[in-house]
Amino acid sequence: MRPLPELTDDERCRYEWQLSVRDFGEEGQRRLKGASVLVSRIGGVGGSAAMQLAAAGVGRLVLAHGGNLRLDDLNRQLLMTTDWIGKPRVESAHRRLRELNPHVEIETAAENVSESNVAALVGRCDLVVAAAPLFAERLLMNREAVKQNKPLVDCAMYELEGRLTTVVPGQSACLTCLYPEPPANWKRQFPVFSAVSSTVGSLAAMEAIKLIAGIGQPLSGRLLTLDLGHMTFRTLSIARRSDCAVCGELG
Amino acid sequence: MNVRVGYSAQLRTSIGRAEEDVELEAGSTLAALIEYLAARLDDAGKGHLVTPEGQIRASLLIVVNEAVTAADAAKSTILKSGDVVLLLPPIAGG
Repeated sequence: MRPLPELTDDERCRYEWQLSVRDFGEEGQRRLKGASVLVSRIGGVGGSAAMQLAAAGVGRLVLAHGGNLRLDDLNRQLLMTTDWIGKPRVESAHRRLRELNPHVEIETAAENVSESNVAALVGRCDLVVAAAPLFAERLLMNREAVKQNKPLVDCAMYELEGRLTTVVPGQSACLTCLYPEPPANWKRQFPVFSAVSSTVGSLAAMEAIKLIAGIGQPLSGRLLTLDLGHMTFRTLSIARRSDCAVCGELG
Repeated sequence: MNVRVGYSAQLRTSIGRAEEDVELEAGSTLAALIEYLAARLDDAGKGHLVTPEGQIRASLLIVVNEAVTAADAAKSTILKSGDVVLLLPPIAGG
């Protein structure tokens, strides 16, 4: 286990209002500082998660997202700015997060998660936040996180709804337990307000903070569904599948 | 008997409502309910529930009275009057 880094006086001052959170304290803050989180895609959901994690003081963020910023990203991708249209999304995110919290080390990969980079990306972090708009990427992240025994927070939305779960490999249901077959009918373009995607991203960040700091009760073995149209929230128990192609052999 | 069925996400859009009461024959299975609902939909809507071969999609999240029920258990799950079934197609918006 790595020794926890000390906080500087500047950091104590920056985080003063969260150091008094029950069960968190300076040790929790040091755990955040010593941690690294991979965020797969930094769009409406992942970008908001990254922003919350940077504000909270996670020591190192690895951001993976390919492509250049487009005008129609800007209704929800809060790490992007209008002057950055046509330039790489990860560069805008890097700049915005550094402005928010210069204590956070930001690493970027201007590419989406794929078979060729997933092992290296997951290998660079302690925890994964999966927020890609394609199941192929999410399931790939899930497979690799389980393989490397790293927790994964899966956070997704559609229109006014959101869903979250946390995968603790070998202990709780993984994404392939939930979706034994790759969903065939999901379409890449989905209706979205930033108020919904950023809510889901913030909830995912809270899951990551809880897991790293060892506070609260994470969503492992549970699926949170939220419907902001009706303001209904449900927490459903989800079980591991013994025949799961990804985690079934972990016993 | 009547069961209450709630729809989520793309399925809610296809069906055009968030929930409804559905009348079924006593002793109907969960699979029978889903097949009945699929038969009312066009191909796009149907595709959220069943495969082109008519099998219930393994990726469809099915919740019966707040308990997640695997698609492969739908044929052996007998519904009773007053049950609440939620159908949640997979979503990945990020």
